[in-house]
Amino acid sequence: MTIIKPVESPTVTAPLSKNSALRWVRKNLFNSVFNTVLTFVMLYFVYVAGKGMWSWGITDAVWIADTRRECFAISIDGACWAGVYAWFDNIFYGRYPREELWRINLGLVCLVIWMVPLWLPRVKAKISIGMTTVFLYPFLAGYLFSGGAKGVFMQFMVTAAIVCLLVNTLHAIVGVCSGRSLLEFIVTLFGKKNASSKRGRNILVGLFAIIFVVIYIWQMNWTVERIPWTKWGGLFLTLVISGIGIAMALPSGILLALGRRSNLTIVRVFSTTFIELFRSVPVITVLFMATTMFPLFMPQGFVLNKLVQVIIAVCMFNAAYMAETVRGGLQTIPKRQFEAAHTIGLGYWQTMGLIIMPQALKHMIPNIVGNFITLLKDTTLVSIIGLFDVLGMLRSISKDSPWLGLHKEPLVFGAFLFFVICFAMSKYSRHLEVKLSTSHKK
Amino acid sequence: MAVSDNSKKSEQIKPKEQFDFFHDERVRSVLYQLLTAAAVALVAWFLISNTSKNLEARGMHTGFSFLNVAAGFDSYFKLIPNEAGVGTYGRIFVIGALNTLYVSLLAIVASTILGFFIGILRLSSNWLVSKVALAYVEIFRNTPLLIQIVFWYISVFSLLPRVRNSIDLSGGLELVLLNNRGLYLPWPVPGDSLWLTGIALIVAIIAVCVFRRWAKASQDKTGQIVPTIIPSCLLLIVLPGAVYLLTGMPLEWDVPKLAGLNFSGGATLPPSFVTLLVALSAYHASYTAEMVRAGILSVNSGQYDAARSLGLKQGRLMSLVIIPQAMPAIVPPLISNWMSTIKNSSLAIAIGYPDLVSLFMQTSLNQAGYAIELVSMTMAFYMFVSLIISGLLNIYNKRIQLVER
Repeated sequence: MTIIKPVESPTVTAPLSKNSALRWVRKNLFNSVFNTVLTFVMLYFVYVAGKGMWSWGITDAVWIADTRRECFAISIDGACWAGVYAWFDNIFYGRYPREELWRINLGLVCLVIWMVPLWLPRVKAKISIGMTTVFLYPFLAGYLFSGGAKGVFMQFMVTAAIVCLLVNTLHAIVGVCSGRSLLEFIVTLFGKKNASSKRGRNILVGLFAIIFVVIYIWQMNWTVERIPWTKWGGLFLTLVISGIGIAMALPSGILLALGRRSNLTIVRVFSTTFIELFRSVPVITVLFMATTMFPLFMPQGFVLNKLVQVIIAVCMFNAAYMAETVRGGLQTIPKRQFEAAHTIGLGYWQTMGLIIMPQALKHMIPNIVGNFITLLKDTTLVSIIGLFDVLGMLRSISKDSPWLGLHKEPLVFGAFLFFVICFAMSKYSRHLEVKLSTSHKK
Repeated sequence: MAVSDNSKKSEQIKPKEQFDFFHDERVRSVLYQLLTAAAVALVAWFLISNTSKNLEARGMHTGFSFLNVAAGFDSYFKLIPNEAGVGTYGRIFVIGALNTLYVSLLAIVASTILGFFIGILRLSSNWLVSKVALAYVEIFRNTPLLIQIVFWYISVFSLLPRVRNSIDLSGGLELVLLNNRGLYLPWPVPGDSLWLTGIALIVAIIAVCVFRRWAKASQDKTGQIVPTIIPSCLLLIVLPGAVYLLTGMPLEWDVPKLAGLNFSGGATLPPSFVTLLVALSAYHASYTAEMVRAGILSVNSGQYDAARSLGLKQGRLMSLVIIPQAMPAIVPPLISNWMSTIKNSSLAIAIGYPDLVSLFMQTSLNQAGYAIELVSMTMAFYMFVSLIISGLLNIYNKRIQLVER
């Protein structure tokens, strides 16, 4: 027998849907008494800090003024961004002659054009593109930045770099459009199906030789004014120093790390000594050593300029740091990989280059990027030994007579600049890590 | 049959027995090592011969005898007494080393505590709290320490009020005062019988250790949990406190007093010291926070489930299950973070705190020359400290390995 209750069951409100904002707030901010209190305390804290920063940096700030006095006249409590704005060129380019700034910009644009194919899909031979960036781009950029008369070697290298840049770009365009490499494309253009045939290769070699000669003749008449390194400065100098440091650190770090793990006792001892020596002392002492002791190390009459001294020092300590990162990556490779490589008869360099390094580098990416970020941040130390890098420039704003005593705003701006660069780099490395990870664990 | 065919073939292949000089592994290994050694020796010879020629040409002296020469300057902040024109360069080295160690040890303690705190906030289930902690970490990690130090120095510690309008950090008691000359603290002056209190404290600590060991043994035997925290706290406070009171409170505080234009008495920490301490702690705390977070997250989530299913409460779950497993992941990077704190304290040079680099590598080098000796002594100091710290790390790793089986 069934009993049917004549009473209506009470209505229950529908549970909040998974995506509702209210549910999210309740779950993440007010899920217990303690958390509720914490949320309100934090809200108050964020409100006070945010309001202070907002009114100082935005609403009360002065954006257009000619002197610091004028800033004060307009608003006494706010930031005086006008001073930073007036020094913008100095912060980015240092004392580089204003009419020659296009050279720095062109150099950067070349670098971007050179590197972009590395990120494009369907482009082949990315390793060679990366290698040419490291080995040829510096000559082009070095000539663009410093200028002056070219020796025969420099003429050759600049030509090679320009040819390489052209080929790279064409290769990238062809790659994106058709998914083939430039070589295949040209060979098929001439109606030859087989890329490895002798005829096709001859055509290619001839073509490159013609381009090379044409560019060589063109660049002989192309000279730019010489600009001494003392005029370099600002973010440009910071990027040059850390860029060279990064480019040198990876190969030398890999060599040092391999040396440290080597079976050859003498190689191991030297590598370990070098790494431990440079890792255990502060960066600033290495820089001091470079400026005080390198002149003594050099043969008489041979003078290294300060920039070169600093760059050598930066390369040395960064190679040591990178070596430890690489060693950490190598340690993640299980022994069976080495054994498998030996079993199929690979020698030491083949094992390392074909089996171990490709796997290890993938593990290392976050740490390598972390290293780059550290290097970029550490490059500010060169301002202590008297180079006008970005921090040196920021600090000299307060000594410029219209902006006398303007300390805080330039430093905040500099911190912001570094934050943007470093944060973007670390986010990108996180992305790469996820993209490259082939393991199935989540 | 195919199998027998294969075995016949493999019999036919004989390994090459002949000795190939250039392709023998042992020969190669010796050859490579000799080549490396020769290259390094060549570079070393090149550098040393150049240096000796340069030194001769410039008429520079070498040797460590200058350490006994009186230095013509003095450091404004020092832990051992010194006088300009009397104290030697050797003494300057000791002062610099002590200053470096002093500020970095305090910064290590502060950054570790702050870092643990922020790391735990970062793991909070409260979205807002965890995001605020994340913002802290990202801001401090992604900006150069040098900019941070200069910023603290210029826009915080040089905007402090003058002596007359000092900020009272102790809330009206005028004990801890902050102004643009530095931080003024009361300093303890021990009386005659203070050593008795010290002994009482040591006795209390030993007693607590014994008590805890007994409590653990009794828990292992009977399964009953003996409360240890409150009795040990009581023991630690009551025993030394009682001795202190019985011996007639033999400790006086030297309180800073306004005398004329400045404070006298108490301990003074110059603004550069306070700046460096704050900046180093804030910067390295952000790294510590990430280490703590990563360490705790590295513990398998199954461990939480297992501990909860055993009926452990949140506090015991953390202290008995999670933290012990997270520590092996936290401690090694933490110790190398300590090392970088010590190394980064050398940035003191930017704000004029007299640490080893600024006193010895800059001022002494400008005054006395002897570049090679000064630079190598400074570097040797840092290497020595790093050696000690990596020794600590090795001891820790050994212990962990033993426990891990």
